[in-house]
Parts: sequence; structure tokens; C-alpha cells
Amino acid sequence: MSGDTPVLRVSGLQRRFGGLLAVSGVDLALPAGRVLGVIGPNGAGKSTLVNLISGHLKPTAGSVLIGDTDLTGARPWRIAHAGVARTFQIVKPFRGLTVADNVTVAVMFGPARIRSRARARQEAERVLERVGLGGKGGLPPAELTVADARRLELAKALALRPRVLLLDEVLAGLRPAEIDPALRLIDELRGEGLTLLVIEHIVQAIAAVSDEILVLHHGAVLTQGPPDEVLGDERVIEAYLGHRYTRRNPS
Amino acid sequence: MAESSTAAPAADTTRPARGRRPRLPAWWPWGGGALLVLGCLGLQSQLYSGQERTVTTVFMFVALAAAWNLIGGYTGYACFGQVGFFGLGAYTTVILMVHARLSFWIALPAAAVVAAVFAAVIGLPLLRLKGHYFAVATLGVAEGLRELVTNVPRWTGGGSGATIPSTGDRAVTPWLGNDGFYLLFLGLAVVCAVVVALVSRGRTGYALRAVNQDEDAAAAMGVNTTVAKTVAFAVSAALTGAAGAAYAFQQVTIYPQRLFDVDITVLMIVMVVLGGAGTVLGPILGAAGIAIASEYLRQHLPEAHDLTLGALIIIAVILLPQGVVNFARDAVRTRDFSLLSNVRRYRL
Ligand SMILES: Nc1ncnc2c1ncn2[C@@H]1O[C@H](COP(=O)(O)OP(=O)(O)OP(=O)(O)O)[C@@H](O)[C@H]1O
Ligand SMILES: [Mg+2]
Repeated sequence: MSGDTPVLRVSGLQRRFGGLLAVSGVDLALPAGRVLGVIGPNGAGKSTLVNLISGHLKPTAGSVLIGDTDLTGARPWRIAHAGVARTFQIVKPFRGLTVADNVTVAVMFGPARIRSRARARQEAERVLERVGLGGKGGLPPAELTVADARRLELAKALALRPRVLLLDEVLAGLRPAEIDPALRLIDELRGEGLTLLVIEHIVQAIAAVSDEILVLHHGAVLTQGPPDEVLGDERVIEAYLGHRYTRRNPS
Repeated sequence: MAESSTAAPAADTTRPARGRRPRLPAWWPWGGGALLVLGCLGLQSQLYSGQERTVTTVFMFVALAAAWNLIGGYTGYACFGQVGFFGLGAYTTVILMVHARLSFWIALPAAAVVAAVFAAVIGLPLLRLKGHYFAVATLGVAEGLRELVTNVPRWTGGGSGATIPSTGDRAVTPWLGNDGFYLLFLGLAVVCAVVVALVSRGRTGYALRAVNQDEDAAAAMGVNTTVAKTVAFAVSAALTGAAGAAYAFQQVTIYPQRLFDVDITVLMIVMVVLGGAGTVLGPILGAAGIAIASEYLRQHLPEAHDLTLGALIIIAVILLPQGVVNFARDAVRTRDFSLLSNVRRYRL
């Protein structure tokens, strides 16, 4: 972990949808090589937070800084060029392109801006290999398994060579045997100095890789701290697990 | 994620499984295209003048379909007002040749530039609209242009038409004759096809296809979606405007009703969809196929021309919803050439 100047700094971030405060007053300051796990019940505002940082939604208040650059309300491609990559909770493959071409788009248009198609494809193959999609580059995305579709989502984000990586439930739908390699990759990326914001529902998994866990509830930060501390917190158990309990047992 | 998965394939398999593709040398599209152009040049001397005019019209529609394909096929923005750029190109030519007395060879590129600038300007608001909103808005723009042209007769001749002086001393550029227009439209078709081929293979092609599939995902990959869409729209308009310029000069006298006829847009769209949207070859095949079928029916079934052509188009769209070229690609890949399983695959 190098220094403590934050790579990603978010202050007072707020997003209102009509009368609903989907995200309200969120502050973050993440240095390089830090993994922040974000948990919270359905509708807590986790994806909205990612959308606000990546520029896919504009905040109604607050600011987003990448390094020293204020990118509040900037368009998504500017934020991508500033070194922020993200995955989508509902995967968004380019269906008309092969798996390799999907990743090639990121290589060509990301901060690296590799214009030569041959070189971009080489780089794409390398990234596919890394996420475990080696040899599947020629497939159309529709032929991928659920797990592979999530790997493609991750490959596209990694192909941008980001400083900050926002992962919105990349483990969802993976079988237990598939989760461990994914967690190892997250650890590896942290070792390379990436700053990660990882949204996940599987609490044990996220606790294992996160330096800190932030709990969102009704758009606001309920608590933030080291995993064991946060997961032992009464309020978290009530807000998070209580919600799951009621979901499974609708009265 | 070092492991590769062995889970069952995802449920969504609208696209067929992949087989091994037959390998062709990388230059074959260019070689094939060059041969096709040489063939068209050789064909010219074999045609009667009526046939020559028909083939000239086919070339024009190849150019128009290829141009529409950029915005409608690759980018996925179905422009229903494309004829507006055609008319704009035509009337730019009339104004420049009649009022400014400029040569056709200056008016032609100028028409392309005017159409491109116009598209870029209206694109900024319109390209924020999606799906049928964009379609309807562009339709409105084309209608608006027709109204405008009709209402400034001093410049455009209004509803009673405008004539480009093309013979004798008053002609700024002598009329090109059937042979000349055959070559001009062939040249335009080649330019359009080459532009589309270059865009398709290059970086811009990736951007346009990404925008077409998912704009949010494209933007997250660093694609400036606003620029990508606007460039596609402007280039598409430029090519269409150039075709309009050539058409105006060929017709000599032009009327707003004809130059802004929505049928022309519909033809472009049908040709692209039937041939294969988002492919280089598709619009060429679609334009040639429909133009030839239309001509054949006009000669052999004159009283039922529109009805039969319409029925043929409907049947073709049902059997080949993805267009001839995309069907052939899928069929070769899966070794399944059955039209029925194709219909089933696309769940029509
Ligand atoms: N575009 C939108 N328009 C209106 N409301 C929205 C929009 N996007 C999200 N919301 C609302 O904002 C709240 C937060 O949604 P968000 O998707 O961020 O939750 P989440 O924590 O990601 O939930 P999940 O665990 O289900 O993914 C929800 O109540 C949702 O209905
Ligand atoms: Mg979410």
C-alpha cells in the first residue's frame, strides 16, 4: 500500500430520484491498493453509487475526485479515460461482437488507446487469458455460461488498465468452486496497486478480500470499518440479515 | 478466475453455435469488389439505353443503402428521414448551379458538406432520442425540409420545380449523358461501399457496433458515444447528399414531392434490412436484388407491381429477418442452411 493520498475520493455524494434518496451523503477516500467491500440490502443504493462514480448517473449533490481531478458529473468516457473501470450488475456484452472483440473495444478506446487492430487483439487475448476465458475469444457472448459472461464483464473492465475498479456483484450466480479463483484475482489486483470497490451479497466472500466494509442502508452509510468489526455490529445484522430474513419469509 | 467453467450453456442462445469457418485470403473483399466494378464497366457497352438507365438507378440505390447502413445498420439509429439529406443535396446543387453558376463538380462535394453539417447540427439533439422516437423525429425533419423548399420558390422553384440549365451556352456544366451518369453513379456506389468497408474494419466500426449494442457499456469502455453517433450520422448524410446532387443533375428538373419522397427512405431501409444490416455486402446485395425484382415485375406484371413486390419483401423478411448476408454467415458457421430453422432461431 503506497502512501495515503486517495485515488478515489467521494464527498457528500447524493442522488435523488423524485422523492427517493437512492444515495445520500456518502463519503469515501480510497488509497491505492485498498479494497472496499460494499454491502447492503436490495435497493440500498449500491449500484447507484457505482453509477454516480462511473458517470452513468449525475449526482444531485456532492463530488467525485479521481486523483486530483474533479470529475463530478463528467461523462462516462472521460471517467474511463481518467482510470476508472466498472462492471455492470446486469451484464452488458456487445452481442453482435465476439468475446475477443468485446474486449478489443476496451483496449482500443480505453486510456491506452491502442489504435492498431492487431495489437489491440493481442492485448485482448492476454486479458481473456487472465480472467479464465482463454480460447473462448471466438465465441459470440450469447454462448457463454453465466460465470463466463461475468468473466467477460471483468475482462472488459480490466482491459481499460484502470487505477480504480468498481465491481458490481461479479460473483453473483457463480458456483462455490468458481468463487475462490475470482477472489484470488481480486487479491492479485490489489497487489498490483489497484483501488477496488467491490459490491457483493455473499458476505463471507467479501469479508475475505476486503480491507474495509461499508454498509449502505436506504442510501446512507450505516457503518464502515474492518470486516470482523462491521459484521459483528448489531445494526448491520438487523438491517442486512433482517432484510434477507423478511425477504425469504414474506408475512 | 483461472478455471474455465463447465456449467451448462446460458439459456439465451439466439445465435447459433460456432463451427470452423472456411478460410479466405484477407484481400478477397477488395479483390472481389474490384472484379465487380470491372464487370460493371464491361457491362455498360452491352446495355440498351433503357437498361443502362435502370442499372444506373441500381447504382444509386446501392450508394443510398450503403449510406443508410452506417447510421441505421452499424449504429442502430433507424433514420426514417434519410431522404431529407438526399433532397438537401439535390437542392444545394440546384441553388449552386442555377444561382451561383458554379460547376457541378463543385456543387457535388458542396452538397455532401451541406448535408453533413446539417446532420451534425440536428444530430446533437436528435441522437439523444432512442428507437422509434429518433425514427419519428427524423421523419419530421425531412418533412420540414420539404415544406421549406416548397416555400422559398425564389431559390428552389417551389412546388413547380427547378431546372438546371444543362445544354447550350446557359449550361455551367454540360449534361453528362446516359453513359456519363452510369459512370458517375457507379463511382458514387464504389465510394460509399469503400467508406463503409473502411469504417467497418477500423476503430470507428468497433465504436459504432458497441454503441448499437449498448450505449452505457460502450461509454464505460471509453467510447465517446456522442462523437461516434454524430460522425456516423454526418458521414451517412454526406454520402446521401452526394447521391442527391448527382440525381438532381441527372433529372435536370426536380420537384420537392419527388426529392423528399418518403418512399426513397423506405426503399433504402428495406434494402439494408433484407441484404443484412451492419455488413458491407448486405446493402449492395439488397439494393441490387430489390431494384432488379422491381424492374422485372414492372415489365412482366405491371398492374400488380407494388402488391407483388410488397408481398415478396414481406416473405423475405419473415424467412430472413437478419438479412441475406447475416443468414449466410450463420448458416456457414452452423452448417444449417434451412430457412425454417432460421425462422425458429429468430423466434418470429
Ligand atoms: N434510474 C432510476 N430511476 C428511479 N429510481 C431508481 C433508478 N435507479 C435506481 N433507483 C432506485 O434507487 C434505489 C437504489 O437502487 P440500486 O439499484 O442502487 O440498489 P442496489 O443496492 O444496487 O440493489 P440490488 O442489491 O438489488 O442491486 C432503489 O430503490 C431503486 O428502485
Ligand atoms: Mg445493484
